[in-house]
Amino acid sequence: MKRSWRWPLAGFVVGGLVGATLLTVNIVGAFVGDSAGVVGPQVDSGFNGEILHTPPLLVPRGQPVELGYEVVCAPSPDRPGAACSPKGSVHVRGVEDRDFIDVPLAADRDGRLSATIGAGYTLGAGFDYYVDIEDGRGASQSLPGAGRDSPQHVWTVAGEANVDLNEHVFGRTRAPDEIVAEMAWGSGDRQLGLSSGPEQARIGPSAFDVGPERAVVVLDQVNKRLVVYPRGGTPRNLPIPFDGGEGDLAVGGNGTIYVLDDGGAAAPMPVVRSFDGDGRPIAGTPIAEPVADMIRMGPDGPVVHSYPSELWFPTGIAKPPLSPARQIELARPGRAAEGGLEVVVHASPRQARFALVRGGQVVSSWLVTSSTSLGEVQLAEPYGDGLLVVLRLWTESQAEFRVLRLARAGLAGSFSVDRAEWAESASLSRFRLHGDTLYQLRSDSSGTEIAAFEIGGTK
Amino acid sequence: MRNRAKLAGLLPGVVGGLMLAVLVFGAPAGAYHTDFQGHCNGSFLNLGPITRGESRNYAYSAAAEGYQWGGGCWNNDNIDQSPGDPPGDPNTRGEGPDCSGFTFKAWYERAETPDPWFRYHYLMQNVHGPYTAADFKYGVGAPNITVAKANTIFADAFASTYHIGMIYWAQTGYNEDRIIEAKCEACGTGTWPRTYRGNPDYSGARRLYWS
Repeated sequence: MKRSWRWPLAGFVVGGLVGATLLTVNIVGAFVGDSAGVVGPQVDSGFNGEILHTPPLLVPRGQPVELGYEVVCAPSPDRPGAACSPKGSVHVRGVEDRDFIDVPLAADRDGRLSATIGAGYTLGAGFDYYVDIEDGRGASQSLPGAGRDSPQHVWTVAGEANVDLNEHVFGRTRAPDEIVAEMAWGSGDRQLGLSSGPEQARIGPSAFDVGPERAVVVLDQVNKRLVVYPRGGTPRNLPIPFDGGEGDLAVGGNGTIYVLDDGGAAAPMPVVRSFDGDGRPIAGTPIAEPVADMIRMGPDGPVVHSYPSELWFPTGIAKPPLSPARQIELARPGRAAEGGLEVVVHASPRQARFALVRGGQVVSSWLVTSSTSLGEVQLAEPYGDGLLVVLRLWTESQAEFRVLRLARAGLAGSFSVDRAEWAESASLSRFRLHGDTLYQLRSDSSGTEIAAFEIGGTK
Repeated sequence: MRNRAKLAGLLPGVVGGLMLAVLVFGAPAGAYHTDFQGHCNGSFLNLGPITRGESRNYAYSAAAEGYQWGGGCWNNDNIDQSPGDPPGDPNTRGEGPDCSGFTFKAWYERAETPDPWFRYHYLMQNVHGPYTAADFKYGVGAPNITVAKANTIFADAFASTYHIGMIYWAQTGYNEDRIIEAKCEACGTGTWPRTYRGNPDYSGARRLYWS
C-alpha cells in the first residue's frame, strides 16, 4: 500500500466507526425509551388493573344511595382478556361519626359490584366512603387510593333550585361580542398546530386561559409552545417542554402559567409544569393518579382533577410543588374556590346537579334538567351569588353549548353558543370565565379563534 | 509541515467514513426506526363469544403503549418502544395499534368480514383488520352495527370518519365518557375522558354477539 493512502484510510475507518457508534446509540436509545421521565405513584399494591366508579357527590336528602363499581383486571400472559373475580367492601361513615362501617359489595351476573347505602346516612349532611377491592388473584386496591385517610364524600341536598331547560331549540346561538385572537393552522409565528392524519384524532390547541391584563395564553402543544396574546399587543411564542398529545392550562393571578401535560406515549403519568410569564420553567411535579383532565386555579394554587378517584389534587404554587404523596393527603371531592367554598358537580344525560359547599355543608344547590340530552359540563365557576355554568345539549345529529347564569333563586339568564369544535381540544377546556367575560376556544377547518361573550346583567 | 500533511489526509477520510456510516446505518434507521413490528407474530385462535368485560380487559393491555398508523402489535410493558415516529407513515413499523385496528383486536373480530364470530389476537400479533374508523361508523362487516349514542354502554364505541374510541367507563361526574383509544403518535394508546358522545361527528358503534 502506498504511504499516501495511510492517513485518509485511517480517517475513513475512524469516521465510519464514530458514525456507526453514534447512530447505534441513537437507535438503541429510541428503542429502550427514556427511563428518566416522570415516575408513577408511590403505592404499588400489586393490583395491576383499575377500579371504575363515578362518585355520586350530591344526593337528595333522606334517600338511599347505590354505589356501583366495576373492575378492569390486569391481563394475564396466557389470555389477556380473561376475567377476574373481584370482591370487597365499601367503608362508610356519617359526617358526625368517627368510625367507618363495612358494607359488603354484591356482584351481579356481569361482575358489576354494588352496595346500597341506607337512607340513614343521607338524613344528615352526608357521608364519607371508600372501597377496598381484592381482584381474586391476591392483590387489593383502595379507591380513593389513600382509603380512610382521604375518602370520597357525598353531600345531601334539600331545597335545591330547579332549572328546567325543557327541549332545547337548536340554531339560535349568540354571536361572540369580540374575537380576541385568530390564528390559521400551521407551525409559523402566527399559527397554531394541528395534529391530524388517517385513523387518528384531529387535535388542535388543547387549552387556553386568560391571565393578568386579560392576556390570552394558548397551549399550542402540537408545536410544543405557549402562545401569549397580550391585549392589543403582538403575540409571543414561548417554547416549552411537552411530552404528551394533549394537556390543559391555568394562569395564576401573578402570571405564573401552569401546564398539565398528559404524558401521552412518552410518560406513564401526567405532570404539571410551571412557567413564568416569559416561558422560563419554574418547577414540575407528577400527578398522583394516571389520568388527569383539568387544571384550574384555586385560592391556594392550582388543582388537578384526575382519575380514577375523580378527586381534585392540589399541586402547590410553583416552587416547590407538592409531591404525589402530599397531593393525595390534600385531595378534595370539590374544587376549591374563594371564600372557603368548593364547587361540586355531578351530571348525567337527564340531569345535572351543582352546589357551592363549605366544608360538609351545602351553601347553595341547583338541579338542571332538560328533555334534550345533557352532555358534559364544560365550566362551572362561582359568579355573583351563584354559578356560571356551560354545558352541552345534544341529539344524535346536533349539539350546542348553553350558558347558564345560576343565581340562588334559580336561572337568572342563559344563551346558546355554537359548538365550533372542528378540532379537538382538551375535553373540558373550551371555555374560561374572566371577570364578566366568557371566553371560548373555537375552531374550523381554516384555524382557531378565541371568542369573547360579555355576560352582563345583575350578578 | 508533516503534521499538516497528515491532517490533510485524515480529514477527507473522516468525512468519507462518516458519510458511509450515515448511508449504511442511517437510512434504514430513518425509514424503519425501531422496527418494533419485526418482533411481532401472526398468532391467533378462534373462540366462542366473550363478555364485554373481557374485551375491556384486553383493551386495557394496550394502555400506555404506543400508536402506529396501520399497526397492530404491542407488548404490554407500559412503554412506547417507538416514540416520536413521524405520524401518518405506516412504514415506521412502530409499537401499538391505530384506532380502528385497536377496536378490531379488542372486539375479537375476524379478518373475514362476513364472519361475525370471535377471534383472540395475541397482543404481539401484527394485525390491523379490514375496517377503518369510517367502516365502524357505518356498521360495515357482519359483527358490527350502528347504535344510538344515547343507548351506548361500555365496550361500545364512538366512531367518526377519521377516528374511533371504545367506551371504557360511561359517564363520569362531569358527564364525559372515559374512552380507551389509540389516539395519535404523541398521545399513544390509553384511557382519557372524552366528549365524543355529544359530538355530531361521532356515531354509536357496537359489536354484536357478546356472551
